[in-house]
Amino acid sequence: MRNFKAQIAIAFVCVILGVMISIQLKSVKRNDAVQSKQFQRADELQLELSKEKEKNENLYKQLLQYEKDLNSYEKQFSEKNVIAGALKQRLDQAEILSGLTAVEGKGVVAVLNDSKLKNEGSMAVDENYFVIHDEDILMVLNELADAGAEALSLNDERLIATSEIRCAGATVSVNNNRYSTPFTIKAIGNPDTLEAALNLRGGVVDILKQWGIEVSVKKSNKIFIPRYDGYINFEYAVPVKKGGGDQ
Amino acid sequence: MIPIIGLLVGVIIGILVPYHIPTQYSPYIAIAILAALDSVFGGITASFQGKFNIKMFISGFFGNAILAAMLTYIGKKLDVDIYLAAIIVFGTRLFHNFAIIRRFLLNKYLKSDNI
Repeated sequence: MRNFKAQIAIAFVCVILGVMISIQLKSVKRNDAVQSKQFQRADELQLELSKEKEKNENLYKQLLQYEKDLNSYEKQFSEKNVIAGALKQRLDQAEILSGLTAVEGKGVVAVLNDSKLKNEGSMAVDENYFVIHDEDILMVLNELADAGAEALSLNDERLIATSEIRCAGATVSVNNNRYSTPFTIKAIGNPDTLEAALNLRGGVVDILKQWGIEVSVKKSNKIFIPRYDGYINFEYAVPVKKGGGDQ
Repeated sequence: MIPIIGLLVGVIIGILVPYHIPTQYSPYIAIAILAALDSVFGGITASFQGKFNIKMFISGFFGNAILAAMLTYIGKKLDVDIYLAAIIVFGTRLFHNFAIIRRFLLNKYLKSDNI
């Protein structure tokens, strides 16, 4: 009788044990399935992304072709017509200014790299002083613009009126693309003036070198600056009609 | 025999029940399963030895399960895997009890007391 009681008690616990084991097995199986589904989803998205990228590339090629055609039409037309010729000249200037066409010419190339100074021991200060920030880059670019640079690029990303240079974690965001060190700044303009502007005593390069940030400025006779590749869409800005713009 | 039927009933109930355990509670159930296994083996051993006490058995089952779950919870909060203590203790006792059961059964069927 006593043994029977024991068996009933053990059976009772066994029921609970069985319920727990089967539910747990079910849950583990299900959770694994959920996880593998997530991986699958990531794979799908990856595939979609690469497809979109390919499409994008093809469209870009098409765009280049259209622009080539457009250029040849413009050329043909301007050769025939004096007014059209003048307009074409203005258009070319506007394209350089807006960054819609690649340019080349004399200028300087400045390469900025993080400090390699050792920051340790009792003299250790904030690590942040030893890495390049968006502000440092902006300082250099501003100096170059002041010295008469006609076209600027950062890591071959053409800087236009709407370009941003902004801290994005460990990287710097330019034209919505992210770049990390080293930063190569190209500027087209009078090479001597541009170089002198950067190397002023107490100027930008001096300030950056205090922290050991490596700055090299080189003059060059031929610098190529690519065009702006991004999408241009003016949603809010509308040109003011000539003559009606005065308040 | 009855415990095996009980186990089967439990498994079937578990399969039929539409509930499942969220991932974050999975360790608690695992520990509880171990506690239950320990209790079952302990109970079988005790009944073979004629020392079975239903109050001891039931309180041991629930007490061990709750303590083990609490250890798991505290361990999670403290970022120390305290539940390992429960796993080791339960595991050791499982094998120990199984050894006793084995000895008992072999003695019973071989009708010899030499083992």
